[in-house]
Amino acid sequence: MPRTEAPWRGLSSLLNREAARLFFVFALFATLTPAQTLPQAEALWKARHYQDANAVFRDLMARDPRNPLIRVRWGRMFLEHWQADEADRLFDEALELKPDDAGALLGKALVAAEVYAGSAAEFAQRALRSDPKLVEAQELLARLALEDDDRAKAEAAAKQALELDANSVQAKAILATLDWLADKKDSSWDPHAAKGYETAGHFFMLNRRYEDSVAFYRKAIGLDPRLDSARSQLGVNLMRLGRDEEAYQQLKTAWDDGFQDSATTNSLRLMDSEKNFVTFRTDRTILKLNRKEADLLRPYFEDEMRRAIAVYEKKYRWTLSQPVQVEVYPDHEDFAVRTLGMPGLGALGVTFGNVIAMDSPSGRAPGTFHWASVMRHEISHVFTLAMTNSHVPRWFTEGIAVQEETAASPEWGDRLGLDEIAAIKDHRLLPVTELDRGFVHPLTPQQVVVSYFEAGKICDYITEKWGWDTILAMLRDFGANDDTATVIRKELKMEPADFDRQFIAALDAETKRTVENFDLWKEAIKRIDAASASRDYDDVIRLANDVRDLYPGYVEHHSLYEALAKAYLAKGDRAAAIDMLEQYVHAGGRDPDSIMLLAKELTAAGNRKEAAAVLERLNYIYPMLSEQHRLLGELWLEQDNAGGAIREFQALLAAKPIDLAGAHYDLARAFNLNHQPDAARNELIDAMEIAPGFRPAQKLLLQLSGADQPAATKK
Amino acid sequence: MRLCALLLAGALSSPAATYYLTISGLGGEPDYDQRFKMWALDIDSNLKKAGNVNVTTLIAPNREQIRAQFQELARTAKPDDSLVVMLIGHGTDDGVDYKFNIPGPDITAAELAELLDRVPAARQCVAIMTSSSGGAIAFLRRPNRIVITATKAGTEKNATVFARYWAEALGDPAADTDKNDAISVLEAFRYAQRKVTEFFDSAKRLATEHSLLEDTGKGDGERNPSPDNGVGRLAAAFTLVRLGANADAARDPAKRALLAKKEELEQAIDQLKYEKAGMDAGNYRKRLTLLLLDLAKTQEALDAPH
Repeated sequence: MPRTEAPWRGLSSLLNREAARLFFVFALFATLTPAQTLPQAEALWKARHYQDANAVFRDLMARDPRNPLIRVRWGRMFLEHWQADEADRLFDEALELKPDDAGALLGKALVAAEVYAGSAAEFAQRALRSDPKLVEAQELLARLALEDDDRAKAEAAAKQALELDANSVQAKAILATLDWLADKKDSSWDPHAAKGYETAGHFFMLNRRYEDSVAFYRKAIGLDPRLDSARSQLGVNLMRLGRDEEAYQQLKTAWDDGFQDSATTNSLRLMDSEKNFVTFRTDRTILKLNRKEADLLRPYFEDEMRRAIAVYEKKYRWTLSQPVQVEVYPDHEDFAVRTLGMPGLGALGVTFGNVIAMDSPSGRAPGTFHWASVMRHEISHVFTLAMTNSHVPRWFTEGIAVQEETAASPEWGDRLGLDEIAAIKDHRLLPVTELDRGFVHPLTPQQVVVSYFEAGKICDYITEKWGWDTILAMLRDFGANDDTATVIRKELKMEPADFDRQFIAALDAETKRTVENFDLWKEAIKRIDAASASRDYDDVIRLANDVRDLYPGYVEHHSLYEALAKAYLAKGDRAAAIDMLEQYVHAGGRDPDSIMLLAKELTAAGNRKEAAAVLERLNYIYPMLSEQHRLLGELWLEQDNAGGAIREFQALLAAKPIDLAGAHYDLARAFNLNHQPDAARNELIDAMEIAPGFRPAQKLLLQLSGADQPAATKK
Repeated sequence: MRLCALLLAGALSSPAATYYLTISGLGGEPDYDQRFKMWALDIDSNLKKAGNVNVTTLIAPNREQIRAQFQELARTAKPDDSLVVMLIGHGTDDGVDYKFNIPGPDITAAELAELLDRVPAARQCVAIMTSSSGGAIAFLRRPNRIVITATKAGTEKNATVFARYWAEALGDPAADTDKNDAISVLEAFRYAQRKVTEFFDSAKRLATEHSLLEDTGKGDGERNPSPDNGVGRLAAAFTLVRLGANADAARDPAKRALLAKKEELEQAIDQLKYEKAGMDAGNYRKRLTLLLLDLAKTQEALDAPH
């Protein structure tokens, strides 16, 4: 909302607007000087009469356009009113007027901190250089250090803030939070203030200790029932824990009180869309799916949840005390609501205790998302969080989760990407004791991606060199609240810096060929693309085979495997095309069109068993195409896999194909093979209700009428 | 005497034919030229594979060539015949008239309507599968004519993919949703429409085309033709491609009684389906099963050699 127009977003419900207006009229007609009216603007703001305060600020600025203080205070009001962009512009304008304005620099730091931007600390430090007594900047530095889980730095910064102001609630809150995070029941730094408990709630959320977070937010609103920011976060965290009823109530109360930030508004909107979802429960799993795709996804998701839980219970030697809940969102915006206010990308899935929210395969462009890999990743968090009572640091739980993706299947998980290659090449990987910073306060969006990769590789390295039991021992240590440096010294018997050196050396050796030849490979890709576009397939084959092994993990858009397969097909060499596409899927290729092409080529070549296996792989990536289920069902039917055929033809029906009658008939054939004549008859009736003259269905219906044995199932 | 003369005339006249005219327009760039031509040739090939003989396909013709082709159709086609005209390419709409882009002067929807009106074939289907084609409906609609457009209005100006899937429908047995060995205009329309939706969904792109069908002679086009909105009746009865030899039985006098029974059963099934909403579900299912079993047995008898 532009500040010049300033129709503030929903504010006035509980305000005494008439009184505010009288005050405003008085303010306008009084003899004004900045010293008199700025407090008036602030008074209106503090009374939550934002619109009126906005008008006063606007008037003030028109009268005194060179005064940075007006812009700074106005910006702070915008920031409180969830309009960070507007606030940021005002702070920039203030800095143009006075480049070292401490208040404006602090404003910039606060705006950056809201989105966990890496620049927040730098702005706060600049603010302190301009005004060494600016306690709010010092408090912010303490907060940022704790967000990075740098506890020593956070403690030092908080104590410096207390030297500036012995009553600083935020400094005390940081120090108390350090005690509480270390499981000390009482803290001598207890701020006994609502905003202090709100800060503690924030840090327990960041540490994925949602129950504790909820308890602190409750404490905060217990002291100040109108601290709506805390009430809203209480609602959001209750929602994360799956306690939707109370979550809704708290969010609604905050919203009705005028607190209408995006997290509150969007969370309420998401909960209002609950009717679009259906929940399936088993003893171990709770699966929440959108109605429009529930029938299609349920069998695959439930199976994979059960399989992952069984594998992990054995591997982690840990039994979960409650079912795992997975919520699947076909609309990415709905999923994004679940991660609002949280650091990092949270791009594909997120885990809150035993509740997982993730994108549906239908919510992403086909081939860009491996849902089963994401689910494995997230379910591993449920275990590592439960085993450590959520004390596991971010880098370690993410590292294990990334490792689990490829542990499930070497074809799953992400490959060495372009950002990771650049980071290795430029020596931009973070030391292990600082790796959390890459997730929480990344300097660039790519740093989050690189940090996932690095954490995964570290866990691979530890597993390879010290064994899986060491990973479990480290989890136990983190559960006992040891920090990363202590755990590394204890379990790996070395200093963290030595570990970094050894790990980087091993990673360099592993990626050397790709990293060193990356520029060469990149150049070759351009030539291959050009040759492919001009259909010079001999050139494609020659050039691609020359460089393919320099970067074998590249399976994204314009992969050499696909370019080669296309070239071989154009030249009529189907066997070579099949070989190349098989290498593509083994290397982790995910493009549904390429995978379908491989399945069809294998089927045509008579390798029907392999074709079925390829289509099974596609189900874990993108199970939304009716054609894949029809083909796989047919292949399973031929191979007498009645269970597989039933599942696939049921998926085909759920995908609502154009040929609905044909899909019912196919399912009838599968039921017939599985000695379920009644179910087969039902499907035939469904098929013929749509197409009464459907002769194959008529024939099978007649065969089934009175027959005890399965009728012939061939088409 | 008069009756005999009529019967004689009927016996001597050739069976009703369907004439197909496919025109691919100007692409503007090689990629589109190639694409439009390929889709037109796919339609041509699918129609011929299905045994149709009156199939004409023009690749990037000019206005005079198109007019000449319509003159030929006007000369050959008879009132009992059917005509299917399919346009593939780019279209434009200036808010006044729709134009199909071809080499030289474009052809307008008004001109196209005039050319179609001159062809005596009473039943006509015209599928304008170009950008902005929604703007052509008002010019082309008339009783006994089905108008299909790739876009819902003249303002949908992006290049369309509807023709690609229309061509696919004519050769894909999956398009024959009622399994009667024939693909009707309505089935082909639904098939192409569904595939276009999937195309945009899977690419995570906002759909830039929304196809319409008009067959009442007075409507603005429907996105979802159904008995509820009264659109699609003519399109459902208009066979575009036959997939099998389903008319053989009608020629065998020994099977006429069975054929009559089959038709009776089909009507009874239709009637039952019509009454479904007001019936107890179990009772409906039971009666439907009996009718379908009876129909299957009748069909089995019809299929049996004597």
